[in-house]
Amino acid sequence: MSDTSPVFVYALLTALATGLGAIPFFFVRTISERFVAYSEAVAAGLMLGASFGLVAEGTAYGSGETLLGGLLGVGFILVTQRILRDQDGQELVFEAARGDGAKRMLLMVVVMTVHSFAEGVAVGVSFGGGVTLGAVITIAIAIHNIPEGVAISAVLRPEGVPASRCALWSIFSSLPQPLMAVPAFLFVETFRVALPYGLGFAAGAMVFMVLVELLPEAYKHGERAQVATLATVSAVGMVLFQQWL
Amino acid sequence: MTGLEPLAAVLFFSSLAALAAALGAAPLVLGVPPARRVIGWANALAGGLMIGVAYTLLQEGLDGALIAGGFGTLVGVVFVRGTHTATGTGELDLERPEGAGPDYSYKALLVDSLHAADEGVAIGVAMAVSLPLGIAMAATLAVHNVPEAMVLNSVLTSRGMKPFQSSFLSVVVNVNQVLLAVVTFTLIGLWPWLLPWVAGFAVGALIYRTLVELLPESYRQAGQTSIAVVTLLAMGVVVLLAGVAT
Repeated sequence: MSDTSPVFVYALLTALATGLGAIPFFFVRTISERFVAYSEAVAAGLMLGASFGLVAEGTAYGSGETLLGGLLGVGFILVTQRILRDQDGQELVFEAARGDGAKRMLLMVVVMTVHSFAEGVAVGVSFGGGVTLGAVITIAIAIHNIPEGVAISAVLRPEGVPASRCALWSIFSSLPQPLMAVPAFLFVETFRVALPYGLGFAAGAMVFMVLVELLPEAYKHGERAQVATLATVSAVGMVLFQQWL
Repeated sequence: MTGLEPLAAVLFFSSLAALAAALGAAPLVLGVPPARRVIGWANALAGGLMIGVAYTLLQEGLDGALIAGGFGTLVGVVFVRGTHTATGTGELDLERPEGAGPDYSYKALLVDSLHAADEGVAIGVAMAVSLPLGIAMAATLAVHNVPEAMVLNSVLTSRGMKPFQSSFLSVVVNVNQVLLAVVTFTLIGLWPWLLPWVAGFAVGALIYRTLVELLPESYRQAGQTSIAVVTLLAMGVVVLLAGVAT
């Protein structure tokens, strides 16, 4: 008999760790044009790097399935964008922002939350083969989540969201991870089939978000060379960090 | 197996990739100059392929040597930024040739020949990892060279150059690619510890170049959504191709 309560507790800790990503943003007092650009560039890089990891894991289960999942992820963002746009003349409001800024933040929270579903399944499936979710692995996943909290906060903070709220939204976005890890842990065989689609879906949604919202926004507010440098270094840094874990 | 055979393969496939640039003149030869939006998509296609290539090198080229890969990446970024600053091509606007200085065409050629350098390194690294991966990389870059040459051709002909000359030049700027593919492959053969450093260099240079040159331009030429879709599809194709090759 497998005991699932430690799995849940460990996984919950990993979600809380995402909130730590907001810490650097407590030190940001004034929000300048440049801060907006470079913050979005870092978020774009981190998400691109994270999606590389998702694709690598997904293609290990099946390349075609991962790519199909990726296309569904793109479709999902396109539909969500349309829904957020059609507000019957009412302007979208999220936290303190309205209009485009509110749309971008809401999309970001939605994308990162959806991505946590896939990651939760991945965690559950990879430890479902009889291995218990031990402390070492929990710490690894928790650390893995911190840069994701940085990415979310980097999109929310420039819109004037207080750092404490950034931390809450970061934790919120990771909650599906423990919720999905437990069933995936118990019903490995069923979930394993869906895993490459899920990972591809998450990667497709994240990369599309980067290309359609974050990068254009960063170019609009900052210098090209700085945006490109920050995004490149964040992306490769994220990949190396995940390979190290 | 003689020692020459793998090197001959590198030479052969990287030359094919370089020659593919000649196809970029097709719209001009056929007398249909590409629309602004199409050039945007061509840039996005080229950029998506680059990011896909970087993904493949990160998965296959590092082999656990993360610090070497990280340093290599930084060197790649610094290299491209440095060459931009040194040659004054950092803010080169390939979209608005009208009113640019007389050295505009030279700068456009210079940008593309510098670009071909990191691509050559990427082919050399991939060939050093395995022949199938090297062939997949050369095929990706061959496809990448077509839209790149298409953009260069339209820049050069807008400055009064004949299509025949511009298509010739767009192939010639890729000679670097062949040369650096062979050099990189040979050096890694001699000193295998170089692999993660060089792979990191190629990754840093390719991602940085895509983000600083190709994407910002393409966003202005076509809308954000279509650019995002084209870029993402191009990345997906490379991931699929690399999956088959490894």
